Amino acid sequence: MTEKNHFDGANYVTNFNAASTELPGSSVAWLNDLRQSSMTAFENVGLPGPKVEEWKYSNLNILKSGQYQFLNESSSQDLQIDNLCDKEFLKDIKGAKVVFCNGYYHQSLSNISAEPGITLVNLNEYIKVGPKDAQRLIHQKKSKSSLNALNAALMSDGVVLIVEQGVKLSEPIQIIHINTEMATAKALRNRHYIQIEKNASAQIIESYIGVDGVDCWSHTVSEINVADGASLEIYQFQNEGNATIHTNEAIIDLGEGTTFKHCSLNIGGRLSRTEIKPTLKGINSKIELRGAFLSRDGNSHDVFTHIKHMVEQCDSEQNYRGVLAKGGKSAFQGKVYVAKDAQLTNANQSNKNLILERGAEANSKPELLIYADDVKCSHGATVGELDQEALFYLKTRGLDQAAAKALLVEAFIAEVYEDVVLEPVKCKYLDLARKWLEAEL
Amino acid sequence: MMLEIKDLHVEVAGQKILKGLNLTINSGEVHAIMGPNGAGKSTLSYAICGKQGYDITQGSITFKGKDFLQLEANERAGEGVFLGFQYPVEIPGVSNLNFLKAALNSIRKYRGQEDMAAIDFLKLIRAKAAELEMDPEMLKRAVNVGFSGGEKKRNEMVQMALLDPIFSVLDETDSGLDIDALRIVAEGINRMRDPKKSILVITHYQRLLDYVVPDFVHVLANGKIVKSGDKALARQLEKEGYTGIDVDGQAA
Repeated sequence: MTEKNHFDGANYVTNFNAASTELPGSSVAWLNDLRQSSMTAFENVGLPGPKVEEWKYSNLNILKSGQYQFLNESSSQDLQIDNLCDKEFLKDIKGAKVVFCNGYYHQSLSNISAEPGITLVNLNEYIKVGPKDAQRLIHQKKSKSSLNALNAALMSDGVVLIVEQGVKLSEPIQIIHINTEMATAKALRNRHYIQIEKNASAQIIESYIGVDGVDCWSHTVSEINVADGASLEIYQFQNEGNATIHTNEAIIDLGEGTTFKHCSLNIGGRLSRTEIKPTLKGINSKIELRGAFLSRDGNSHDVFTHIKHMVEQCDSEQNYRGVLAKGGKSAFQGKVYVAKDAQLTNANQSNKNLILERGAEANSKPELLIYADDVKCSHGATVGELDQEALFYLKTRGLDQAAAKALLVEAFIAEVYEDVVLEPVKCKYLDLARKWLEAEL
Repeated sequence: MMLEIKDLHVEVAGQKILKGLNLTINSGEVHAIMGPNGAGKSTLSYAICGKQGYDITQGSITFKGKDFLQLEANERAGEGVFLGFQYPVEIPGVSNLNFLKAALNSIRKYRGQEDMAAIDFLKLIRAKAAELEMDPEMLKRAVNVGFSGGEKKRNEMVQMALLDPIFSVLDETDSGLDIDALRIVAEGINRMRDPKKSILVITHYQRLLDYVVPDFVHVLANGKIVKSGDKALARQLEKEGYTGIDVDGQAA
């Protein structure tokens, strides 16, 4: 049985049963139980269909048949992977790197040299070395999302990052997912566990790189804890191949006096869905979510945020911008829940979309659920075209049509990344956006 | 001859605005065009500079012997034309400095020149800003965003000084300015006076013409130039208004 308006998940059960002996950690009993119970949880709900309100802009009909099969580790290795890394960028960022090739940890490209006060290791290794610790870590959260359950049932690998109390990482940690031709017709499921303990701080750069034309499903879940007084910044680059389906869910629990920043750029994939779900559980915490999505023909981006203000005196800010070329499609859904006790909440969101040519679709849906009475909440959404007056102004100063357009669109995108302090990260965002624009204008 | 406009007819959204305008401007001359609201003053400046939506249905605009109607707005800028806007546009996210560099290098590219070296550009723009008493901090800010009316017009003058046009059209650059800002704008315009350059000042009031003394004054009414004269004509208009002028352009 599946829930109303959900697609039946039976094909995935078949996939799961067929893969059972190949799943990593199959000798660990609790892990098998976890996979099995997750599969059952998925089967009971099914895949959300387009009539499910939160999924109306991303039609998962394309996943219904379960055609994306599990990829085992020995088939995941690809010697071509070297050519797909952005070596310059890797060099500019000095911190540790964890590279996944088609869903599995890739040792020779990674660099996780031990630093005092942090645990950084791939999930399969972590389970192997300390199955008890792993069991505690993995059993933390219970997400209601069926895709999350499917990910847990069929996960291939992931990152375990624990930053111990009071440790402040000086360099960002990179988590890089590279999907190659070996991924064709496969589902690649990573699952990351990130713990930032009391008064610690970290920055993470999370990249997705793919090959155009490779039809695969890249599916990641991150479970994140930010303890009291700690801070975490995540910089995400979604640049999958143009035939890839990308789904990404981050669930974040935030303690007292915490800061959480999430910054993203969505470019790749034929269908991408980015879910960011922070829950504010301690007072005096701040959330900042920002990002841009650039969409062209055959390319749909859906950014779904769900912020829960459970306690008083917390702030959340959201700023998302979309740029749509002809045939492009996007959605921003910003859900904010303010519980009855969450007085003195500040929650603001803004979503601006720029349509470069007629024949694109931008959806924007704020959803505010406010149960407290002393709060400041705002939302704003716009969809517009390039300002003709500004274009003419630039042309009278000598810029040709393409250069004038590029300058205006770049400026529109750059405002999102204005406050990014990590210079190579900011440059990379703007470079990727510029390359995308050059192909469109 | 710098600019020759013959029998110019312009329509905007199907409405006839200019109806057979003739104007000739030679090198070294400063011309002023005055006229009542709705006479077509801004339309004339947009038609000269090539704004989309301003349809030339008849007539010609020739600049230094070139048929201007065949050129895009940016190409006209490359040929040496500058338009000072009545309402300069705000461009969030683009720093004034990047904007000015892009403008200067676009025009250099049009003329087959290399980009100016970054260090030379900075020296040049700082010098121009200082000449026009612009706070160098304004160069770092987004183009015209949060600028006062006077600051926007001063920014126009800095752009004009940097791009060094041979023909400048100033469309009501004086409107909404206090006396200090007006002085800066007038100085900016006067700096462009040169035997090889020409200026067209479009204004509603005589006030600016006390500072920028024109060689010729024309009255634009009902889509045509109905009267031309020297600077004395501007004074007469200030005193008597446009009522003494036959707006149909027929001999009185």
